[in-house]
Amino acid sequence: MEIKEIIKQNGIIGIISNYENTLKYTNLVKDINIKDISKALKMVLLDDSYLDKKVSELTLNEQFKIDLMTKLNKEVIIIGNLSKVLNSKDIDYFKKLFLKLNNEYHKKVIIIDNDVKVFFSLVKRIYVMKNKNILYETDNFFDRNLYKYTVCPKIIDFIFYLEDHGHEIIKTTDIYELIKDIYRRVS
Amino acid sequence: MKEITNVTIISTNINKNILQIYKDYQLIDQSFKIEDLLQYKKIIFFNVFNELSEDKIREIYSYLDSHNILYINVTNNIEEVLFTDYLIVYDKEKILIEGTTLEVLKNEKLLKRIGLSLPFMVELSLYLKDYNLIDKIYLNNESLVGALWK
Repeated sequence: MEIKEIIKQNGIIGIISNYENTLKYTNLVKDINIKDISKALKMVLLDDSYLDKKVSELTLNEQFKIDLMTKLNKEVIIIGNLSKVLNSKDIDYFKKLFLKLNNEYHKKVIIIDNDVKVFFSLVKRIYVMKNKNILYETDNFFDRNLYKYTVCPKIIDFIFYLEDHGHEIIKTTDIYELIKDIYRRVS
Repeated sequence: MKEITNVTIISTNINKNILQIYKDYQLIDQSFKIEDLLQYKKIIFFNVFNELSEDKIREIYSYLDSHNILYINVTNNIEEVLFTDYLIVYDKEKILIEGTTLEVLKNEKLLKRIGLSLPFMVELSLYLKDYNLIDKIYLNNESLVGALWK
C-alpha cells in the first residue's frame, strides 16, 4: 500500500515516521491568505497578537500551530511532529480538534509522529513508514511487533512488564483505568 | 550564575532563545554519532532524543559521564527529565522553577497549569500512593511491581 491508498481510508491515520516540515510561510502571519484569520488563530490556540509577527521568528510550537492553521480548510490534513513541539495540554487539545474535524467535517487527518502516545484514543490504524515504504501496520497499540520500529510508550511498557512477569492486567492506554485495575488486583 | 552540571531543561514552548546564556556549550540539534561528542567539554542537546529508547539515552549519558563531559538536555518530553538529577522548567523564556528533579516534580499543580504532565512512573506512583498501595515514588517497572505484588 502506498501513501495515496492510506489517504483514501476513512478516519484518522497515524504514521510513525520522521516528518520534515518546510515552512511554507515565513513572512508576517497577517499576510497568510486565510478567510477570518482571527477565528483560525483561535482554533490553533493563538490570538490576534500574532498577526504582526513573522512566522520565521516564532517558536517551533507556534510555527506548528500556524502550519496547522493553513491546513484547516484542506480536505486532507497532513501534520506531524506533535510530540516534538507541543506540550501535553496542547496535544490533548489538538487531538480533540482532529476528532472534531474528522467526525463533524469529514476531513481526513493524517498524523506523522514517532511517539505512539500521540495516537492514543485518536487513530484507527498505525503505519510505520520509511522512505515512503510501509514497513508495518497495525490497529493494536499492544502489538509488540510495532515496538520493533519505535519506542514503546511507558504505560504500554509497564503493562508488557506485568504480563511478562505473570500478572494479569487490563490492556489500556488510560492511566486511570490502569490504576483502578491495579487497585482491584492488589488491595 | 552557578556552574550547571548535568541538567534537563523542559520547556512548554521550546525555543532556542533560552540557550543564549549557555554560550560555552556546543549545541547538538540534529542526529549525531556518539563518538563525535568526545571533542566537546560541554554539550547542549536540543530536542534530539525523541526517537531514542531509554537504553540508548542512558548509554549516551553514561558515555559522557565517563569522559567528564557536561551536558544539558533541552526537551519538551517529560519522560526525559528522569535521566538527570537536576531539572529546570521554563515557561516560555523564563525559568519557572528549578531544583533536584524529584523535588521539582512534586509541584504537580504548577507543572500542569503550564501544560506539562508528570513522567508516567511518577504519576502512577503518586496515584498508587494516594490509594495507600505503595509508600514512595518508584522510577522503574521492576521496583514498582516489586512493591505492589510483594
